[in-house]
Amino acid sequence: MTRELLDRIVLGGFIVLAVLLYLSTASYPGIAQKTSALYVRFLAVSFGGLSAVQLLFSLRKPSGSGEPLDLFGRASRFFGLMVGLIIFAVLFESLGFFIPAAVFIPLIAVMLGYRNPAVIALSTGGVLLAVYLIFVQLLSVNLPGPNLF
Amino acid sequence: MKLTKRSFVAGLALLAVMGAPAIAQDYPTKPIEIIVPSSAGGSTDTTARIFAEVAESKFDGFKFVVNNIDGSGGQKGFEAISRAAPDGYTIGLVFTPQLVAHIASGRAKYTLDNFHVMGNTADAPEIVVVPKDSKIKTLADLAEAAKGGDLTVAVNGIGSDDFLAAKAFEALVGVTFNLLPTKGSTEQKAAILGGHVDASFMNLSQMEAQHKAGDATIIAILTDKRNDLVPDVPTGVEGGYDVQMRATRGFVAPAGVPADIQTKLDEVFAAVMADATFQDKAKASSIYLLEMNGPDYTAYLQKLQADTQKVFDAAPW
Amino acid sequence: MEYLAVVFAPHSLLSIIIGTIAGVVIGAMPGLTATMAVGLLVPFTYTMDPVLGLMLLGGIYSGAMYGGSIPAILLNTPGTPAAVATAIEGYPMSRQGRGRLALKISVIASFVGGMFSVLILLMFAPFLAKQALHFGPAETFLLALMGLAGIVSIADEETSLLKALLAGVLGMIIAIVGTDSMSGSLRYTMGSIELIDGIDFMPALIGLFSMIQMLEIAGQRESMQIDASVLKQAQKSEPMPKGIWKYMALGSGTGTVVGILPGEGATIAAFLSYNFSKRLSKTKAMFGKGAPEGIAAAESGNNGCVGGSLVPTLTLGIPGNSVAAALMGAFIIHGMIPGPDLFAVHADKTYPFIYSLFIANIVFLITGISVAPYLARIALIPPAIMVPVISAFAILGSYSLKQSVFDVYLMIGFAFFGLFLKKLGYSLEALILGLILGPIAEHGFSQGMIIGKGSPWIFFASPIAKVMWVIIILLLLPPLIAHGKRMLRGAARVDR
Repeated sequence: MTRELLDRIVLGGFIVLAVLLYLSTASYPGIAQKTSALYVRFLAVSFGGLSAVQLLFSLRKPSGSGEPLDLFGRASRFFGLMVGLIIFAVLFESLGFFIPAAVFIPLIAVMLGYRNPAVIALSTGGVLLAVYLIFVQLLSVNLPGPNLF
Repeated sequence: MKLTKRSFVAGLALLAVMGAPAIAQDYPTKPIEIIVPSSAGGSTDTTARIFAEVAESKFDGFKFVVNNIDGSGGQKGFEAISRAAPDGYTIGLVFTPQLVAHIASGRAKYTLDNFHVMGNTADAPEIVVVPKDSKIKTLADLAEAAKGGDLTVAVNGIGSDDFLAAKAFEALVGVTFNLLPTKGSTEQKAAILGGHVDASFMNLSQMEAQHKAGDATIIAILTDKRNDLVPDVPTGVEGGYDVQMRATRGFVAPAGVPADIQTKLDEVFAAVMADATFQDKAKASSIYLLEMNGPDYTAYLQKLQADTQKVFDAAPW
Repeated sequence: MEYLAVVFAPHSLLSIIIGTIAGVVIGAMPGLTATMAVGLLVPFTYTMDPVLGLMLLGGIYSGAMYGGSIPAILLNTPGTPAAVATAIEGYPMSRQGRGRLALKISVIASFVGGMFSVLILLMFAPFLAKQALHFGPAETFLLALMGLAGIVSIADEETSLLKALLAGVLGMIIAIVGTDSMSGSLRYTMGSIELIDGIDFMPALIGLFSMIQMLEIAGQRESMQIDASVLKQAQKSEPMPKGIWKYMALGSGTGTVVGILPGEGATIAAFLSYNFSKRLSKTKAMFGKGAPEGIAAAESGNNGCVGGSLVPTLTLGIPGNSVAAALMGAFIIHGMIPGPDLFAVHADKTYPFIYSLFIANIVFLITGISVAPYLARIALIPPAIMVPVISAFAILGSYSLKQSVFDVYLMIGFAFFGLFLKKLGYSLEALILGLILGPIAEHGFSQGMIIGKGSPWIFFASPIAKVMWVIIILLLLPPLIAHGKRMLRGAARVDR
């Protein structure tokens, strides 16, 4: 997919969003009709209008070089990190911060091509200690998960 | 086998005892969590912390941890209390009218039956305030001025105590205010002190200092009796307007806590409420104590829910 | 004088130093905000001596406001929304190896803004608070518009004005999810209790800046080599640019004034000061590519808010922003109800607290200056280590704000979809500005319409409103004309 095509698709989506948003304001109850609905309609009109103008500019420009879109760079590493993040988030509720982080940090570091075990261990330990001191001890944030401390 | 039925039953009983760790004799064995459905540092939060501090000093072995679950007008916190395990290790500080307003509006995933009501600790009497140079001096003036329908009156959000009081006043007098919903007492205060609105329904603690300094005038207090802190302010009833509203803050536990543990908790509650240190500390933080025991507060909540339901059905939000 | 003695007592100094340094650390971590830190520590100070407790919290407030700029400059991950403008100029500077200078300017500017605003607080608080009361909902709406005018400033030759505006409006649209405060009805929450309060800007800020930055580094095609020459340069100490003081003065004044007014002052103050400095600068073309003037104005602007926001808080009990509101909780816990009493009955605690803010500014100045050379070495940390560490903090930070795992998913979502928008040339700075200022604009607009009884005339009625419109037009016209000319030239080229 070229950058230009994706750009136009996104702009098209924006116009649809703007129209839906405008239509939805009709159902605002009571006092909101005279207040919030006006504001939201203004947003919808500006959003749709600006998108339309931008789309027009894009269509008038002679189809460019067909510059390919480099969204993610090295996709394996990019998505590796994404997947890592999502798994971290999923485990957060049941296992808390410390256990997933102790696995996540070294794993991602190795995935990104880092091979010095001493540095990895030191930084992982440092992060866990810093979080424990600042979040748990100083601010007493209630972190979920098994009560280890 | 001489292993008699009696020893078998005794064995079962022993098992049952071991299986139910929360029995009154050794309760509590770990800290008790108090869920506070508002942010740390606020008045509700302060109430819970003073309570915890005094309770810990009076009862050996009791330790409390305050957990602030704020947001969505307390709804998240209320739901967390109703969902908590009824083992006596989670209690909560709820506040009205939000607790019942969420039920009335049909958004809440709990009902009053999901709670064991321990009792009320504090209340915030509702007042009507006007800017200092306002022509409105009494509730009668307010009713008169509102006849045209364009008297701007600030309330703290839809479904709050202020909102319900304003709606009740509207219904009683037969007028409609130009209601200005705000995001809290801060905005109401600024609107009154800056003269941007004609009147505001708020809580006493939020305007007491300003009234005494002469920066704003409290024209009525919407409780059954005058308040010692502002003895010059007449009640609504005195002026012939029977509108009563107060915000309350009470302790509850999830329904289904074993009876003996519940008795212990109720006992802690009553002892702390009667404690002189607790009363002094509350007073210093502008918290007005209003003790109601469990059954009384339950009745109060049920009546409030019915009243709120009426307002909601008339003008849903 | 006796109040000064209280401040210089060893216990007091220790509280101030601990508070300020903790504040800098908290501000520097994405996801930990001063509001949260002060809110969480208020109960802790409950058992402390009131004066010491307040000094600790005041130090956190001052320190955190400065701390947000450190990761903004070094890693393009602003620790607080008020530091987004700093990141726009600071990160390019550290890429050019001028990170040390950027850090120095930011700490000195923060110090100047902080000192100036506290001085104003000390001398004119009651008078200024009275003036601030004239500022009603209509004027709040205009203030938000002034801040949003910053979107036009973000757009430059490379990023198209249209796309910057689109991103800003998109941010404002995302912000309308949640409870409609006028009717109490729920908008676009899809039945989720997590969305009743709307989408918070902190997960968005972390996702759009910290996390995207990490995703981009992870996906980088070139092998992750550190440019040695840049590093050598980074160790050199550069003198302060000439004429930078002018911009710090500008930011301090703007920050203090905006701080006194209601609303989320610091973000507006930083962007407004940034916008002013760009309008006044003779080297406009440098903005967005590492202009020290921009950092000076933005940082003195957001620290100017510290003293400013305390003016209405202490004299009227009307907090200027959320940190001040949390701080007010600490006063109330100790039975010090804001109002005239604070300066009479409780003067023995209030004045030492105000004096302590001067010390807090000095503490973070010394800290900032002395650690700047070491901080600049953060660039030395191998990306493969930095990426997982910052990611872990991003997750923890988005969670701990509201203790909600939903916010963590929100943060990841913002990072993923924000990356698309960024690659397509949309300005994420504009998006976050819209997300933060949209609700303030909406609330001011809706309340203004109610007070004006349905007539938009209210937005033009008061003298303050008229002055504000003039400023808004002055901020918008020159860049709009410049963009218009460029667009016409571009169109002409296409036609040929």
